[in-house]
Amino acid sequence: MFEKSLYDLIRGLRNHKGSEKEYINSSIKECRQEIRSNDMDLKSTALMKLTYLEMFGHDMSWASFNVLEVMSSPKYRHKRTGYLAAVQSFRRDTEVLMLAENQLKKDISSPAPTVISLPLIAVPHVINPSMANSILGDLLPRLTHSHASIRKKTVVTLYRLALVYPETLRPAWPKIKERLQDDNEDPSVTSAIVNVVCELGWRRPQDFLPLAPRLFDLLVEGGNNWMAIKLIKLFATLTPLEPRLIKKLLPPLTKIIRETSAMSLLYECISGIIQGGILEAVEGTTEGEEVARLCVGKLRGMMIIEGDANLKYVALLAFEKIVRSHPHLVSQQQDVILECIDDPDISIRMLALDLVVGMVNIENLTAIVGRLMRQLRNAPIASSADDPANDRGRFSSVVPYGDSDDSDAEESLRPESRSNQPPPLPDDYRVSVIRRVLEMCARDTYANISDFEWYIDVLVQLVRVSPSTKASSATEDDDTEHADDVGRGIGRELQNVAVRVKSVRSEVVDAAQSLILVDRRDQMFPASGNGGIRVLEYAAWLVGEYANCLAQPEPVMTSLLHSSSAQLPPRILAVYLQAIPKVFASISGSDQLSWTPERKTLMSLLMARIIHFLEPLSTHPDLEVQERAVEYLELMRLAAEAAAGTDTALSYEDFVDPPLLLTQAIPALFTGAELNPVAPGAQRKVPMPMPDDLDLDAPINPNLNNLLAQAELAAFETDDDDVYAAYTEPITSYAASEAQPSISASERLDGQQKEPTSYQNAVEEEYLDPDIIARRKAERRERHKDDPFYIDPEGQSGSGTITPLTSIVRAGNEEVDIDAIPIMDLDLSTQRGAGEEISRSRSPRKPTRRVEIMGDETLGPSEPDSSRDNSTTPRTSNRAKKSLLQVDSSGLGSLSLDDDDDSGSSRKMTRLEMERKEQEEQEMKKALMEVERLRLEMQRASERLEARGEVAVKPKKKKKVRKAEIGGDDVPIHEVIHEGADSIGHQGAEDGTEEKPAKKKKKKKSKPGEGDVGGDGERDDETVAKKKKKKRRQVVMDEGVPNTEQ
Amino acid sequence: MINAVLVFNNAGQPRLTKFYTQLETSVQQRLISEIFTLVANRPATACNFLPLPPLLANSSKSSTPTTPHNDTPSLVTYRHYATLYFIVISTSTESPLALLDLIQVFVQALDGLFENVCELDLIFNFETLHATLGEIIVGGVVVETQLDKVVEGVKAQGKVAKRPVNENKGGLSLAGFGRGDGVWAGR
Repeated sequence: MFEKSLYDLIRGLRNHKGSEKEYINSSIKECRQEIRSNDMDLKSTALMKLTYLEMFGHDMSWASFNVLEVMSSPKYRHKRTGYLAAVQSFRRDTEVLMLAENQLKKDISSPAPTVISLPLIAVPHVINPSMANSILGDLLPRLTHSHASIRKKTVVTLYRLALVYPETLRPAWPKIKERLQDDNEDPSVTSAIVNVVCELGWRRPQDFLPLAPRLFDLLVEGGNNWMAIKLIKLFATLTPLEPRLIKKLLPPLTKIIRETSAMSLLYECISGIIQGGILEAVEGTTEGEEVARLCVGKLRGMMIIEGDANLKYVALLAFEKIVRSHPHLVSQQQDVILECIDDPDISIRMLALDLVVGMVNIENLTAIVGRLMRQLRNAPIASSADDPANDRGRFSSVVPYGDSDDSDAEESLRPESRSNQPPPLPDDYRVSVIRRVLEMCARDTYANISDFEWYIDVLVQLVRVSPSTKASSATEDDDTEHADDVGRGIGRELQNVAVRVKSVRSEVVDAAQSLILVDRRDQMFPASGNGGIRVLEYAAWLVGEYANCLAQPEPVMTSLLHSSSAQLPPRILAVYLQAIPKVFASISGSDQLSWTPERKTLMSLLMARIIHFLEPLSTHPDLEVQERAVEYLELMRLAAEAAAGTDTALSYEDFVDPPLLLTQAIPALFTGAELNPVAPGAQRKVPMPMPDDLDLDAPINPNLNNLLAQAELAAFETDDDDVYAAYTEPITSYAASEAQPSISASERLDGQQKEPTSYQNAVEEEYLDPDIIARRKAERRERHKDDPFYIDPEGQSGSGTITPLTSIVRAGNEEVDIDAIPIMDLDLSTQRGAGEEISRSRSPRKPTRRVEIMGDETLGPSEPDSSRDNSTTPRTSNRAKKSLLQVDSSGLGSLSLDDDDDSGSSRKMTRLEMERKEQEEQEMKKALMEVERLRLEMQRASERLEARGEVAVKPKKKKKVRKAEIGGDDVPIHEVIHEGADSIGHQGAEDGTEEKPAKKKKKKKSKPGEGDVGGDGERDDETVAKKKKKKRRQVVMDEGVPNTEQ
Repeated sequence: MINAVLVFNNAGQPRLTKFYTQLETSVQQRLISEIFTLVANRPATACNFLPLPPLLANSSKSSTPTTPHNDTPSLVTYRHYATLYFIVISTSTESPLALLDLIQVFVQALDGLFENVCELDLIFNFETLHATLGEIIVGGVVVETQLDKVVEGVKAQGKVAKRPVNENKGGLSLAGFGRGDGVWAGR
């Protein structure tokens, strides 16, 4: 015998370190040989090895028929191997499943309990509706099997059957209930039933109310903590339906809370009390207060207990579940929850983050955002490529070398301690933090933000810490919003602030400019990956739209026209293309300056550069980019021609008008009404029935043509027009724009008041990059240049070298002997007084600077749902995608369980439903007949045509015929088919289920048509007959092997 | 309900994979490696609950806010014993702390079956490993939490093989492996 056992295989793997792949491949090849052998032992061993390798990702779907062979072996050992292989390798599309059905039925009815167990465990993994229907009859009798282990497994298997085939519960539920009510039932079985009832319970709680007394007894009896937890969870779903339960539940629950030694039970009791609405029910009574204090106190205790992260986690989990229903309870614990967003454990952080978002207010926003920003900045960006573990998934399989080290595998000690350094933050955590920051700040149209300059700096910093997006920009599709793209979210915020808050518009544009500048790209964006790149889309819009606020239009232009810009994703590039002429207009648009040769040269050069940039883009694959490029290319060529054709002034004294195209036409394209935020629903609110006196066809001004003509003549006189002025102003220097004429002096003082205290500055340094901080400081210094009271933290000699007064004094004193300066007495008392003055003026909550934030423009009362959350949260797809691993139990929702009780109402309901169904089915039948009739007619028509068009060449003929079918016939097929389809759709909707293919309906029809009574009776008869048969067999078996029965 | 039970070692090599829904082999492997990446980066003091791995997080996020109780797996619980990680993926209807106890039961049962169980036992007897799990969880629902009954159930299926003698170098005993740290002693 040379074949390998599983043991040999594993040994072999361990001895082939480095060449596992070849070894595995050769082993699989051997297995392919062995599994075809007639020797069942050999076959089974081969299967075992394949199952082992499957665990490492080696496909064994090709062996599914062999799995079946081994399953059907009479030997238990083989069977077990076969069933394991089936569980591990059968997938939905496995074809031999149909053949497995008989084997399963046979083994379920086996006399040996160990054999019965195998299909019971395997069925949940392989079941499908048709199979469920067929093996249900075999499973039901197992509920009364003499072995408790068989009974409990059967209960669970029936539950899984019900998930795919809800009708299972009709015959099975009464039997399961009987088991549950039986006091003498094995506790294991009872526990299993409770588990199943709990799973069913949250779908249809009303069906389980009659069981409440029994369940309550089980809870009070106690004994099994696992079951008690399940019961409490179940009761939490029942109490809302039956308020009387609350009174009854409270004493045992408080008793458990006080007495139990199991933390899990304690926790579930608390969360059950809170979730079940028990707290509200007993509110006001002394008892109620006591319970509330007990629960919240225990939860708080879990939060602050040292060294047990698990309790912290579950307490947060409990808070998360109740935060919607009991916000006050959660906000009481704000202090401990806020602590958790800095927890070293990322699971805890993520939970806390969700909770914290709801707790933000104007007082703590800066601190919370500061904490989050610090996390983002200080943890290294995890580059997924660096991590070898991440690569594993990309290979089809993992190389299963037995063990890296034998001694390692036998190690017995506790988990080794790892380094204390915080692990790099995973990208999705980063994304969610960034999103939360945006969400918190933007809440209620910036209600919580008092300092917008701070917010802009935070946004810029966020760009730098954004993780790289996974999708490569080359293949991105514009319509699908990348779920993990935060760059766009940040950009949207920048845009929003610029539009809504006029007083900081120039700061936002500054920020946008710094993002656009190519030579600062390395500094502004994360070092690795393409993280945050999509903010450029919005930055480009900002520099274009508010080009008049630009401090340095020329470098911006250079960056926009940079050759690397053409490589940007099409969506961003399209916005770039729009921004270029806008910036160009602001550079070139001045008609105050004479058209000097220098200016002409400069403009021509600039236009040539733009044309050079646009030309290759006019063949860009993206249509939007192409269109814009072509449009502006033409415009620029025209402008260039105009510029070349206009003669320049001969001397500096002359004033020659620059070409009108540059000063008037192009700027006019981009100016006009100011952009204002408009509420999403506002357009809809425009009164639809138009007022009678409004005639849209009537000319607004009958003299329009004349006016237009005049306007053309008067074009030169528009200098004093505000809109044009913005573009015609001479380009201001950087320092000039810094002065921010829009902020009044008093505001500036307010600003000083508002300046963060030094404590906050220290914090700030931890989450903003040095260059941003430096800029902030410079700005601050600039702002307080003339403020004698401002103490510059970086001033060399403590007192302001900057203040003009001191500089004058100093200049005057330069020659003076230092010793000659009289020494003043230091009056400590006044000094202190002044200090107090300052501290008093600082410590009370500073009045927030009145920043005007534009709200959405709308008509009438604004809708609550028209909030701006679309700006920060990604668009969630409407399709409810089914999660991996998810078991869909929605089918259970529609099935009523209490048909055995005398609850006539539900019974009647079902009968009514039946009648309606029948009616629908008849209609359906009619519709189907109609469709069939039409099909026949069409066929006849086509035959007629075929006969006529015999001469045509064969392949062509086919086409012709089809055409005729569609359009050429005089029967209005379209309409009739439509009607048919309509009625089908209509029925589907009435059914409350999805539209089902016609065929299925037809097949189904026969069963409900008979009425459920008949159907059930029939089935019951069947099962009874079968049961009898089986019982007899069992008895025989019992006599044969009495040992196993005990 | 419980959606999956996984066991892998410190190097991320699977020792047991049990998915209670049918899943493509490649997706299984991807999920295992994602969870391993998550779990391997955690300090020993961290809690025993993982954030959802990307594969699960993407699909569940959209539906969780609307329905608190649902069928989507939302809880990944793990415990680390010596060289092995034990992972349970479950829906929110399971109690997180109770799942930790359940993993403890599983390990204790293995310890009872193998006497001082270690990773090698599980490698060479992975059929028994599956059988033990089958006594505790069927189709994603817990059927037994009593230690003795689990052990009894596995033993009824046949003799539990011991680890091959020559693999057992020097009979390194594994005190403490099955005992865990007993935080939830009062299960």
